[in-house]
Amino acid sequence: ARGGRGGMGAGKKVVVEPHRHAGVFIARGKEDALVTKNMAVGESVYGEKRIAVEDEAGKIEYRVWNPFRSKLAAAILGGVDKIHMPPGCKVLYLGAASGTTVSHVSDVVGPEGMVYAVEFSHRSGRDLLNVAKKRTNIVPIIEDARHPHKYRMLVPMVDCVFADVAQPDQARIVALNSQYFLKNGGHFVISIKANCIDSTAEAEAVFAGEVKKMQAEKMKPQEQVTLEPYERDHAVVVGIYRPPPKKTE
Amino acid sequence: MAPHFVLFEHAAGYGLFRLQEFEEIATFLPQVEESVTDVSKFSQVVNLIGFFPFKTAGDALANINSVSEGIVHDDLKLFLETNMPKGGKGAVLGVSDSKLSASINDACGIKCSHIGVIPEVIRGIRQHFPKLVKGFSALSSDKSQLGLSHSYSRAKVKFNVNKSDNMII
Repeated sequence: ARGGRGGMGAGKKVVVEPHRHAGVFIARGKEDALVTKNMAVGESVYGEKRIAVEDEAGKIEYRVWNPFRSKLAAAILGGVDKIHMPPGCKVLYLGAASGTTVSHVSDVVGPEGMVYAVEFSHRSGRDLLNVAKKRTNIVPIIEDARHPHKYRMLVPMVDCVFADVAQPDQARIVALNSQYFLKNGGHFVISIKANCIDSTAEAEAVFAGEVKKMQAEKMKPQEQVTLEPYERDHAVVVGIYRPPPKKTE
Repeated sequence: MAPHFVLFEHAAGYGLFRLQEFEEIATFLPQVEESVTDVSKFSQVVNLIGFFPFKTAGDALANINSVSEGIVHDDLKLFLETNMPKGGKGAVLGVSDSKLSASINDACGIKCSHIGVIPEVIRGIRQHFPKLVKGFSALSSDKSQLGLSHSYSRAKVKFNVNKSDNMII
């Protein structure tokens, strides 16, 4: 065993299987773990464990994706039906913070995909820039997501907008960015923290209110999952933007 | 209807497009919305009439800094003066944001608009830009945006007058 760190069955055989979501994997060892295929082999981003698996094609390295530290991972384990970020697609990521989840999204979309990571805080932005240095599919943008016109030269049309901005006007922020950058029929995945929108109302009422706001902006919510037991009073809402008109046959 | 033009700013350079003549916005808007998904349809709606590539990474950075603050950079002024039709004739230039449209109006005396059909047209240009410019590809588009994002963001983190959360290093 390496350094006797234990955990993911050190020294034992670990089998990695593809997850239902393309680009995401499950490592089956002593305990199962959600993992992504490491784009920057040999590097951990935030101290997460790495698992090397050898098969006939050679050695592949995976990184463990912690649902307590990433809302997207929590949503996947919570059984969300679709995340809409398959390998090769372009994702606009609002509220990138230090780039921990961004690094996993970068793994998921892989070398053919791109992640446009927007973060306003300069403190987190520094870490994000360092993550982006080692992963050439991350476009780091240190700018306020409320002003997409400021970064309009850096972002093309994208397939998916992911938002974890924890702001009261989050629905408006996503709508504004979608108007600029989200394809017709593209998808959005929004993490909502009830406390950040309204700390006095019931969480369920807050989620329902946010869904209403989205519907007013050509955003059509399709599913909602809560992030229990990983986060309290959090929900992830997934939906489609400007869905193609239904053809009558 | 006056001739309509649209300015598109990209990490690789400026593009100027001429819009197909149309009678009324009300009838034109659904047409544009429908065409954005299909490049062959969309290229009937807009024509590229000028492209100004940034020569160096430094040029690109100077230009994005101006564009994001709504300031007309000398390169943009030169580009518009060479490519927009002379003498006005009531030509209208579509621009992405209100601040830049006001600045262009002041600096070049061109009538600008950023509402109505313009945001929809710009969505279409953003979608098809690599295909609308000759010798440009999706890959080179991604590359130029990646490079520019790093220099733009690095400068932001290093130097900012009105942010208080800068760490003391």
